[in-house]
Amino acid sequence: MAMPDRRRFLLGVAALLPLPFVARRFHGLAVQSFDPAILRALADAVLPAELGPAGTERAVAEFERWLAGYREGAEILHGYGTGEIRRTGPSPALKWSAQVRDLGGASFLTRTRVERQDIIRGALTGLTLNSLPPADRAPHIAVGLLAHFYDSPVATDLCYNARIGRNSCRPLAESPRRPLPLAPRS
Amino acid sequence: MPRRVVESDVCIIGSGIAAAMVAEKLAEERRLSITVVEAGEESDRLGARTTLRRRYLDYGESPWQNDHLDGYDVPGIQSRSMQVGGLAMHWGGVTPRFSPEDFKHRSLFGIGHDWPISYDDLDPWYQEAEERLGVAGEQGPAALDPRGKPFPQAPLPLSYNLKLLQDWAARSDIPMWSQPSAKNSRPYRGRPACCRNDTCFPVCPIGAKYSPDFTWDALRRAGRVTLMPKTVVRRLTVDGQGKRIVAATAVDRATGNQIEFRARTFVVAGGYTWSSHLLLTSRDSSHPDGLANRSGLVGKFLTGHRNVGGFISLPLELFPGINEQHSLVSKKFMRLPRGDRYIRHDLRVWESSVGKEPRLADSAGRLLLGDELLADWRRRAATGTARVRAYYDVIPDRESSLTLHSSQRTPWGDPLPVLTFRDAPESIAMREPTEAAIRTLFAEMARAGNGQVLSTRSDNFQDHPAGGCRMGTDPAASVTDAWGRTHDHENLFVAGAPTCVTGGCANGTLTFCALSLRSAAEIGKEFPAR
Repeated sequence: MAMPDRRRFLLGVAALLPLPFVARRFHGLAVQSFDPAILRALADAVLPAELGPAGTERAVAEFERWLAGYREGAEILHGYGTGEIRRTGPSPALKWSAQVRDLGGASFLTRTRVERQDIIRGALTGLTLNSLPPADRAPHIAVGLLAHFYDSPVATDLCYNARIGRNSCRPLAESPRRPLPLAPRS
Repeated sequence: MPRRVVESDVCIIGSGIAAAMVAEKLAEERRLSITVVEAGEESDRLGARTTLRRRYLDYGESPWQNDHLDGYDVPGIQSRSMQVGGLAMHWGGVTPRFSPEDFKHRSLFGIGHDWPISYDDLDPWYQEAEERLGVAGEQGPAALDPRGKPFPQAPLPLSYNLKLLQDWAARSDIPMWSQPSAKNSRPYRGRPACCRNDTCFPVCPIGAKYSPDFTWDALRRAGRVTLMPKTVVRRLTVDGQGKRIVAATAVDRATGNQIEFRARTFVVAGGYTWSSHLLLTSRDSSHPDGLANRSGLVGKFLTGHRNVGGFISLPLELFPGINEQHSLVSKKFMRLPRGDRYIRHDLRVWESSVGKEPRLADSAGRLLLGDELLADWRRRAATGTARVRAYYDVIPDRESSLTLHSSQRTPWGDPLPVLTFRDAPESIAMREPTEAAIRTLFAEMARAGNGQVLSTRSDNFQDHPAGGCRMGTDPAASVTDAWGRTHDHENLFVAGAPTCVTGGCANGTLTFCALSLRSAAEIGKEFPAR
């Protein structure tokens, strides 16, 4: 059996057995199964064009890094007011890998941006979507990609056209100043 | 198997922030040996915190994966944290003082209880706590914010956002200033200045925020304390007369072996849950209700405060993320009751992005992709949001209590505690008008800024819990004296949060530290000066 076929077979089996241990075992395999070209075509369709090719590539690379690093069953921060210990849920990679395939494979790459957006709209039909969920709980990989990007400091800076640099180490003395605008893209 | 015996001059049970204050002061000022016993694990080293923070930001994972013990799922507990450094390993570093009125409820307002000490009594200890923690603070208006000496560090500067929000609050005649915080505005005691990583809660990756591990590291490097983690103290035992504690019996969680700690003085510093719990589980035939419990008040009068929070949309151009965890504070409503009724609360304002977040569908339900989503977000984010919150105090009920569970046990066979927080009847009567007054205040502030209240909510728990071993002058009505020494046992102290009579209407940690330092001064009198 050729390697891609074996992966597809195993992923199919995993999808039929949604047991936590199966999901854990197959997370890595599912992540590897993503076609990088399709993921980039998906990002090009759903992320803002203003990011440009380099910005989109950075967003996808960050998403890939994030997905690869996902750990099931890790303890989530327990805040004040509760003694409950909660854990991260199943990896979304299994579900998403099937969705990537459903986008149409190589033919997805040949579509225009608008056509790809139409395909994604079709794929999201029937889902209740309003606010962006946490990326790991996104019902579709397109939503996961959007949620991951829009949760980033890069997205905040882009929205406000300002070098806020949220969650990064920045001199305290600069905090009283209005953040500088982003440099114009060449 | 023979039990191991560890002897020292002072045995401190618990290694949270109260224990750190007691140990540091004693070690600096007195010639004595100190053993610190901690049930939890060592906390992760500072060097690991950048990676742990990254996983928190990326996945919501707790940066403190080992900070609790299995088998200690306690009904009613408000945090499971149990590790070297305690809950203060992931506190927000917010360090307001209580107000003078907090110590005189009964005298001033005819409700609740007075403390056996006044604000003025505690002022020097507040100052010492601020110096040890490294508090960066701004002096508020003297009438609202009395203090004997300046803060040890200049305040964290008001961010661009907070300056605009300060001006907005001023339109409602509310003076607001930089919230005092145990976060360095300059390098201090070997720790760097804050650089706005903005994850103070739950983890500061650079150590600009004080946490007790810094104290323990320094004391251990200097050989001034012996700290034994993974060691659960299960019982205190008294001498034949019941006057003095002679030993603390513990189990080494790693080996299951028993350890007996002997000391001249014992300090229970296990916070609002485990301090009372230890005293209750130390019951014997002579003390069937537990130790230090002649009054029957061990575990009683658990206290805290409630809050009303909200979000207010304002026509201001704000940039969320400049320094999200730093806030403005006002004590205008904390000093004296408002109007005819007893209504007191603090007030805080933060920058926020609530109500202005990116969204997947517009108001008509149309899916937004690509440039449309960003454009929609920009339209929504063109104006700003203020996060507001007011803590108001709760008069604790006697039956706001920690008791021993009838059937659930720790892995070592001791009954688990059960916590039940209750407001006293007069506090229940205050709750609705207080929350209504706070909501009205938020609405007035919104109107003054041509904004609107987006939402308000009240947490359904008492925040910043304390009590359980309240201090007082009357042994029949309190567990410890004004120094934290138990009335019943001359060499047994309770440090910090459990000794609080009330929870005030501001975060309690600085008060817990000040009380602990005061206890340490009293404990130290029995040992030679350095």
